[in-house]
Amino acid sequence: MHHHLSRRGLLGGASALPLVPATAFGQQREIKLGVIYDYTGPFAGGGSLASAIGTKHAIDMINERGGVEGHRLNAIYADAQSRTEVAINEMTRLLEQERVDIIMGVFSSAHCVPMAQRVNQQRRFMWANVCVASSVFKDRNLEYVFRAQVHSDQFGEASCRFVAENAQSRLGKPVRDVRVAIIYEDGPYGAGVAAGNEATARELGLRLVLKEGYAATAPDLSSLVTKLRRERPDVILHTGYNPDITLFLRQSRELGLRWRALIGHGAGYGQIDRLQQTFRQDANYIYNVDPVAAQLLNPASLAPGLGDVTAEMVRRYRAETNVTEVPPHTSMGFNQTWILLTDVLPRAIRNHGGFTPDALRQAALATDIPVGGTIQGYGVQFNPPGHPMAGQNARSTPVVMQYVDGQTKIVWPEALKTADPVLPLPAGHAYAAR
Amino acid sequence: MFDSFLLESIINGLLLGGVLALLALGLNLVFGVIDVVWICYAELVMVGMYAIFFLYVYYEVPLPGAITAAVLGVALLGVILHRFVIEPVLGTAPINQLLVTGGVLFFLQAAATLAFGIEFRNIGIRMPVVEFGDMFFSFARILAFATALVGVLLLWLFLTRTYLGTAIRAISQDREIMPLMGVDPRRIYLITSAIGGGMAGVAASLLVLQYDVHPAIGLSFGPITFMVCVMGGLGNMLGGFVAAFIFAQFISVGGYLFQIEWGYVIAFCFFIAMMFIRPKGLFSR
Repeated sequence: MHHHLSRRGLLGGASALPLVPATAFGQQREIKLGVIYDYTGPFAGGGSLASAIGTKHAIDMINERGGVEGHRLNAIYADAQSRTEVAINEMTRLLEQERVDIIMGVFSSAHCVPMAQRVNQQRRFMWANVCVASSVFKDRNLEYVFRAQVHSDQFGEASCRFVAENAQSRLGKPVRDVRVAIIYEDGPYGAGVAAGNEATARELGLRLVLKEGYAATAPDLSSLVTKLRRERPDVILHTGYNPDITLFLRQSRELGLRWRALIGHGAGYGQIDRLQQTFRQDANYIYNVDPVAAQLLNPASLAPGLGDVTAEMVRRYRAETNVTEVPPHTSMGFNQTWILLTDVLPRAIRNHGGFTPDALRQAALATDIPVGGTIQGYGVQFNPPGHPMAGQNARSTPVVMQYVDGQTKIVWPEALKTADPVLPLPAGHAYAAR
Repeated sequence: MFDSFLLESIINGLLLGGVLALLALGLNLVFGVIDVVWICYAELVMVGMYAIFFLYVYYEVPLPGAITAAVLGVALLGVILHRFVIEPVLGTAPINQLLVTGGVLFFLQAAATLAFGIEFRNIGIRMPVVEFGDMFFSFARILAFATALVGVLLLWLFLTRTYLGTAIRAISQDREIMPLMGVDPRRIYLITSAIGGGMAGVAASLLVLQYDVHPAIGLSFGPITFMVCVMGGLGNMLGGFVAAFIFAQFISVGGYLFQIEWGYVIAFCFFIAMMFIRPKGLFSR
């Protein structure tokens, strides 16, 4: 039998569709997520892509488990191209044209600072996954932006405390005699970490011999290296992305700069496989301050089931990228997404009537995950409105890791330590102070 | 008191000047002859760096062979760029030429991202450390500096001592008259584009010893190369050469005496001031 449908009949039928609940057709309702990362440009290789893959796998896994409270997750992925204006344009497109319910992701703090401001002004909801600058939240009293990730003041503090705790025992001198230099890319991320470095170094009495920023795209760092050689630091605290870190290490070797410890703070230093490809043995014993890569933690110290989640994250990342070393960025991208989708979002739907910005905000403020309740070990409780860091997780902590013979060891804090640090650099190392 | 670190900064500035001069050479030649700015010049360098990387690392071609192939490849790319992108808009407003080469810039960046991914790659050659007294210098930079000097000399000899070079100079001085005297401007433009591309290939062979290759590497050099050329007077090869060393000294010594960012601030302030004082470049007549 043939059915002849007129154009008018089709249009008439279609016009009635919105009146029928979607579930009547067996379809799930959906939650739209606008996920922004740098898939191209220098930040992509500096950790953004690894973060984006972690986030995508978390979303895929939740969808495979049936979504969130009966809602399928519809993620729209956008490329910020390592450029702030593109990040803002993409965010505007996702909010206004795609009408996403949540903006999430974001690798670069330079993107995160203006994005958070704008989302908050518009009273929409943003979940920041990876960017770390404290300035995203500090004294801004953001109401609709939340971040479970560690923030830059904590990065800066961790490395200095590690140095101070090991000054006498391993560097053989009192804290006040340890010469420390702080160098950083001059965006919000590097400047934020460096400010944390400086404040803690002064508080602990470390001897600060140089503090200097530079543009991450600078084609030459030789004058900085010469100055560092003049100042003879024992420890260099460095915050940078990928092209500038490799340039710094290369020019340091060529220009004879030596040190007793080089401590990086995430981003490019989180990509140890890349550094090892480039510098081979010379990249041995570099330190990195970061939220811990989840696979390095003992699953027994975490809530039941989280070890399996980590194992699945690692399996998927390796399958997609064909690399063995899973960087901390993957855990950051995955973990924050997992916290949102398994804790905050279900509570918003169940207890606060849906996933409007206000429902999500109330659900986020009610978050109370104890230590050991996330795959990266730390707990989650957001600072309340009125707090100087309102919206920032008050329970996040970074660790100090060291790359030793191709393996990542946790060397600080004492409670999570998996190995003693190799400090100072052994004699014979290309960068070892003579 | 003698400051060996300051002297080291001055010499490192000289060596950085060599890198910038080498980059400026090809761009200036093309502008001087064809009157078109290849905004995508640094991206041609990026293509050359990728060519050397893949030939040397993946296909195990010896480095001199990989470099020769890359120089020839980028020279060919220069010809293709001229024939298919520049030539159709040669007679139009200069802004059109600027926009199409800008389009090629984004095209090459995006194509490199698609083809090679966002990985930072390097050829893994450790250059020897050059130590003199208490001072240290980059061997790769010394090579770049020497190459820039030789490059300028060869280009000058070519332009002044050969028939083709004379034709190129003649075309750059009067595009209307020379065709009447039997010079085929189309052929001259193609040869100039090949030489300009080849110079980008030479620059690539020296940069690949010092920097990782990635699709956005041009961002580190493109703007600064363009400014060096403008400061020296677009199309003025000697001007560009000298401007590269002035610029590099501001960056290096300014960065040493003040903060490294101040080095760039001073260099850019000098650039702006020169644009007011000598808008056609340091050596304009």
